[in-house]
Amino acid sequence: MRGVIFCCVCICIAQGTLQGQEFKLFDRTVQVHGFGSQGFIYTNDNNWLTMDTSGGSGAFTDFGVNMSSQVTDKLRVGAQGYDRNLGQLGQYHPSLDWAMVDYRFKSWFGVRAGKVKTTLGLYTDTQDLDFLRVFALLPQSIYPADLRDATIAHAGGDVYGNISLRHRLGDLSYTAYAGHRSDSIYSGYAYFLSQYATYIKSFGGLQYGADLRWRTPVQGLMVGASRLDEDITGKGVGVSPFNYMAGVQPYYESSKADWENQVYGEYARGKVQIDAEYRRYWRNQQVFNGTSQDLTDVRGWYVSGAYRVVKRFRVGSYYSRYTVTNVTGGLLSAIAIPAIDTGLPANHDYDKVVAGRVDLNRFWNVKVEGHFMNGYGDAPYPNGFYPQVNPKGFSTSTNALVVKTSVNF
Amino acid sequence: MKNARSHLIATVVMLVLMLGPLPGLAGDFKLIANSSVKADSITGEELKKVFLEEKNSLSDGSHVEPVFEKQGPVHEAFRQAYLGRSDDDLQAYYRALVFTGRGSMPKELGSDAEVVAYVSKNRGAIGYVSAKASLEGVKTLAVVSAGSGGERRLLTRIEPEYPETLKRLSIGGLVRLEVTISPKGNVEKAELLGGNPILGESAIAAVKQWIYTPNHSRTTEEVSIPFDPAR
Repeated sequence: MRGVIFCCVCICIAQGTLQGQEFKLFDRTVQVHGFGSQGFIYTNDNNWLTMDTSGGSGAFTDFGVNMSSQVTDKLRVGAQGYDRNLGQLGQYHPSLDWAMVDYRFKSWFGVRAGKVKTTLGLYTDTQDLDFLRVFALLPQSIYPADLRDATIAHAGGDVYGNISLRHRLGDLSYTAYAGHRSDSIYSGYAYFLSQYATYIKSFGGLQYGADLRWRTPVQGLMVGASRLDEDITGKGVGVSPFNYMAGVQPYYESSKADWENQVYGEYARGKVQIDAEYRRYWRNQQVFNGTSQDLTDVRGWYVSGAYRVVKRFRVGSYYSRYTVTNVTGGLLSAIAIPAIDTGLPANHDYDKVVAGRVDLNRFWNVKVEGHFMNGYGDAPYPNGFYPQVNPKGFSTSTNALVVKTSVNF
Repeated sequence: MKNARSHLIATVVMLVLMLGPLPGLAGDFKLIANSSVKADSITGEELKKVFLEEKNSLSDGSHVEPVFEKQGPVHEAFRQAYLGRSDDDLQAYYRALVFTGRGSMPKELGSDAEVVAYVSKNRGAIGYVSAKASLEGVKTLAVVSAGSGGERRLLTRIEPEYPETLKRLSIGGLVRLEVTISPKGNVEKAELLGGNPILGESAIAAVKQWIYTPNHSRTTEEVSIPFDPAR
C-alpha cells in the first residue's frame, strides 16, 4: 500500500502537480514541503542494514513533511514529521523530526529552541535528505543509516551565527547546543542489544556540543570541526549473562564521558565536489547495572568526489574506512573477548563505492550505486551488519547494489 | 543643421558600439529594493549572504528578504555575478534549509513586472530585474564590493548625470568602477572596470564626490552603478 502511495506521489511530482505549497494563516505565509525516498538493496552475501538484502530487499523507505512560517522579521517557527522503514528498524513508527522556534537577533547571533537538528560534521543534520547528494547511502563509517537516531536531533537549544572576517579572510559559522537526545526503540542500537536478549525501553540523555566551520578565502573551500559530549542512559529488561537462571531482569546502562570529534572539509566549485571527514567516537558505557564497563573506540573517515557530467547526470565515488576496538572491564571482562586488532574483518569495514544519479526533473531523481566492502565490523558496536539477520555467520566481503529514487516538493 | 545633428548622433552611436558593450544585452540587471530599505548600496558579500538567507538585516538595521526571478538570462547573470553556485546547487541549498528548519524557500517570481510589484509592496524585499525593466515604486541599490581593508559604509552618495544623448538613444547598462577611498573617507581615485565608457565618465565624476566612513587605512572597492534610460 505504501509503495502504491509512493508511486502516486512520484507520478504527481513528475507531472508537476505536487509542489511546495503556501497558505496564509493569521496573515502570515505558511510553507509546506515534503520529501520521500524508496530504495532497493541487493547483496551478494551478508545481509546488510537489518534487511534481507541477499535476496534483494526494498524495505528501505522514508518520508517527511514540514510546515514553517516566518512570523516576524526575526522569528521563525516550524515542525517536521518523519517516518521510515529500514529492514527491522523504524518500522513506520512516525517521529517528530524537528519542531522549533528560531529567533535571529543578528546574522552573528541567533537562538533556536525546541527539538532541533544537531549540527555535527557535514551531513548529520541533512542525512535524510537523499535528494541533496549523488550518493544513495552516505559513507557508513561516519553516517551509519542504522544509527541515525543517535545524533539526528536534540530537545533543547542552539545558539548560532555567522561572522565575516576582516581582510577578506572568509567567514566563520558557529553552532553551540545542549539538549536531550532520545533514541527510538526501533533504532539500530536497540536492535543490536536484542541479540543478547536485552530489550531497551528507553535510551537517551544529555547531549551538548559545538560546531565551527570556516568558509575560507579559497573559493568553494570550507573546513570545520565538531565536538559532541553525551551522558546517555538506557533502561529496559534483559537476561544477565552472569545469571541466566534469574530470568528476565531490569537492565540499566549509562555512559561515562562519551564524546565524539569530527573534522571535515568540503571543496565545491563548478561541476566538482570533494568531501573528506574524520570522526572518532569514544564510548565508555557502564553496562549490566554498573557491574561492567564497555569501552569502545570507533574511528572512521572517508574521501568522496562527485562530478556533474551533464545537467541531469552526476557521478561520484567514495572510499570509506571504519574501524572499531573494544575492551571490557568488571564482570563482563570474564566472558568478553577484547576486540583490538582492526585488521580483522569483525573490527573493520572498508567500503569502495561508485554511484550515478539521474535527475528526472527538478524534484525527482534516481540513483544506482555499487558498494564493494571488506569486513563487517559487527563487534562490539552496531555497524550495519547484525548477527540476527546473518544467523550462519559473516563472509569477509560484501558487494552491494543499491537503487534508490527520491522526491521532494 | 539637421545633417550635423544626425552626424553627431551617428558618431556617438559608433563610438558607443566601438568602445562599450551594447545596452540592454540579455543578462544586464539592476538590483532593486523596497523603499523601507534604508541603504543605497550593498556590498557584494552582503548581497550574497542576503540571498543565501545567512543575513536577514543589513548593517543599517533594515530588514531584508530576497526575491528571485525565475530561470532566465537575468537570473543567470545575477546568480553568476553574486551567488557563485549553479542553479541546481542553489536549489539543493535552499531545500537543505527548508528540511532542517533553518530557512524558507525564497520567493520566486516569473517576470520583471512581478518582481517589481512584489518588491514595491513588501517591506525589506530585495530583488533583481533586467536593466530595461520599469522601476515604479522601488529604489535601486548600488553594489559595492568589499575591497582591501574590509567593508566601508557609504555616507554620502551623489547620483551620476545621465548624458542626454545616450538617454535619448536608450543607451544604458551597468558601469563597474574600482574606487580608492582615503582613510578620511574621500574617494581619491575611480577607474572604469566595465561598461559603457561615456556612462563611465559620468559615473566617475559622481563617485568622486562620494564620502565613506573613515578607516584606519586606504581601501579599494568595486562599485556598480546602473544607468536606466527608462527612468
